[in-house]
Amino acid sequence: MTEETQRQGERPVSPLRRRLLGYAAATALAGLLGLAGQNQIGSAQAAEEIVFGGSIPLTGVFAFAGEGVHAGIQDWVQIVNEGGGIEGRMLRYEPEDTAYKVDASVAAFKRITSQFQPNLYYGDSTAFSKTINPELERNGRMIMAGASFATELNDPDLFPLQFMAGPDYTEMFGILLRHVADTQPGARVAFVYSDTEFGRDPIEPGRERAEALGLEVVETIVTPPGSVDVSTEVLKLRRARPDYAIFHGYVQAPIPEFISQARQMGMETRFMGTFWSMDHTVVMGMGEVADGFMGVMPYRYYYDEAADAPMLERIREMRPEYQSTAYMQGFLTAMLMTEAVERTLAAGQDLTGSNLKAALNSIEDFDTGGIIGVPISLPGNSIPVGRIYQADTAAQKMVPVSDWIRLDQTGG
Amino acid sequence: MDWLFFFEISLAGLGTGGLYALTGLAFVLIYKATRVINLAIGELLMLGAYLFFGFAAGLALPHWMAILLTLLLAAVVGGGVERLFIRPMLGESPISVFMLTIGLGSILIGVVELIWGPNPQRLPEFLPTTPLFLGEAYLSSKIAAAFAAAAVMVVAFVLVFRFWRGGVALRATASDQAAAYSMGINVPQVFSLAWVVACVIAAAAGMLVGAIGGIAPTMGVFGLSVLVVVIVGGLDSVFGALVAGLLIGLLEALAGAYLGGEYKLLATFSLLVVVLMLRPYGLFGTHEIERL
Repeated sequence: MTEETQRQGERPVSPLRRRLLGYAAATALAGLLGLAGQNQIGSAQAAEEIVFGGSIPLTGVFAFAGEGVHAGIQDWVQIVNEGGGIEGRMLRYEPEDTAYKVDASVAAFKRITSQFQPNLYYGDSTAFSKTINPELERNGRMIMAGASFATELNDPDLFPLQFMAGPDYTEMFGILLRHVADTQPGARVAFVYSDTEFGRDPIEPGRERAEALGLEVVETIVTPPGSVDVSTEVLKLRRARPDYAIFHGYVQAPIPEFISQARQMGMETRFMGTFWSMDHTVVMGMGEVADGFMGVMPYRYYYDEAADAPMLERIREMRPEYQSTAYMQGFLTAMLMTEAVERTLAAGQDLTGSNLKAALNSIEDFDTGGIIGVPISLPGNSIPVGRIYQADTAAQKMVPVSDWIRLDQTGG
Repeated sequence: MDWLFFFEISLAGLGTGGLYALTGLAFVLIYKATRVINLAIGELLMLGAYLFFGFAAGLALPHWMAILLTLLLAAVVGGGVERLFIRPMLGESPISVFMLTIGLGSILIGVVELIWGPNPQRLPEFLPTTPLFLGEAYLSSKIAAAFAAAAVMVVAFVLVFRFWRGGVALRATASDQAAAYSMGINVPQVFSLAWVVACVIAAAAGMLVGAIGGIAPTMGVFGLSVLVVVIVGGLDSVFGALVAGLLIGLLEALAGAYLGGEYKLLATFSLLVVVLMLRPYGLFGTHEIERL
């Protein structure tokens, strides 16, 4: 076959077609190159950004807290990024809604850790913190905190990569009981708690703590989860005649009905609560019966205009409307985590879970910008500091009735 | 033995039992008329509480007007749910309808969260709060008022059920649908009526429960407690719902007082097991005999 016949056998290619083919090839090549370039940029970004993942309960029974936590983390991330990030590396917050369900929280964790490489993580519950702990250790790249103040998590041996931005529930009881012992030595106290893991958490250690402080625990009353009427329980409380009754394991209900019936019976017991019952909106939502209701709070309230609280001023500038105590918890958690990142990077170390946790534990006499009214240290998994606040329904404010109370490492 | 304490506890238990009985009535009514086990009854109760909250707190209407509007809207919701969701399922497997009511419950929770948010709230005080003492025995005024309101509603319902033409039609349909059809009773309309009345009762119970324990989108869990009540009483027995409501209220109170709060549910479910073993159709339920 001659060269000419060969050429004749080929289909003639028009100049237009040749040009179109050329464009297509060029476009494909450019696309491939572009994609590769984009991947490189993506990898570079991923390498430079510090990812903060979160299993956040934005819907479901714990949404009232999740919304606050979410806003708090968002705001701290914004503050850090507006300030140029951490050593030039920006923070990237990657939350996912969990509806406060452990399976959804775990699924969110898997999705976030498979798409990004988070160094920081926020979990939404005690159950999730316990479930994900082995995976957290296997992963080895991150530290985690969350909405749980469970005493069980406050064990650096069992939960080496986790912490909580406040006192655990037993420490909260310790702070309340210290205040009671200081105010009325030898007082009679009662514990009222929900029959849940959350509710039972500090009861036994709380009893021991009370006895060590010279207080008498005259009654422990347990209510089934979701119970509506508490008449039976109030009748039991009336017979015990405690000076103080501490609620734990509730957000709001059945506390107002409890106080209301106790007042109707003429009881003069003073009622107290722990962190999740102490948000301004929750307490004021109880109505008039909330007047005088006390409790432990590790953070200052949004509207506290103390001179040594510039961070609260900053928060009020960012969000002029009231922000919950859950917001403060999310905000402070993010602040402590980024402090750990900053210390790790400053030491020239890799961002691994153990390095981050060691950096976190090196925090000593740290100024939170006034969110907590005293300098804090974090030698273990918790910050055993808090203050007693009391509801003033006339002023519609939670007002401090104690100084900041700091427990030592033994809870004393 | 401290008899005063026993008396006070018993009063408190019967008060709570009144609320169980009222909600149980809504449950039984739908089952009796339509053979639908309505697992959304708790969420309908929750919706009623939120409607009242919307009228009384959101729109600041007088309480009596908020109550009337709540009951009216609950009736509309009941009729709408029956017409849109339940009636098209007539003839389908009972499991399908059962599942539909579970889905309905989820939808209602979502709607309430969208409108009022997920946070717990307090209802405006519309029940008396002055202390009530029977001799030396204390009874929560809210519980007493809720019990009285529940009792009035139950008596009114029983009278209507017994003497009103619509009530007779409802009973006839419950006894034998085919016979009711042949006697000229408009059975689909009876189904609607059952849902309307049940939703009104559930809304009333929701307002009472919410006035005592506060409201939250999760308060529908109260309906699950009532499921135990109606199973013990007999799914198709109005009288059974009343008796079992009071019985379980009393049992829970006594178990809580003398054994501890952690034994309340244990006592309730132990009773359920015993009743089911001895009378699988409940204390007063119809003993159906299947002939092959």
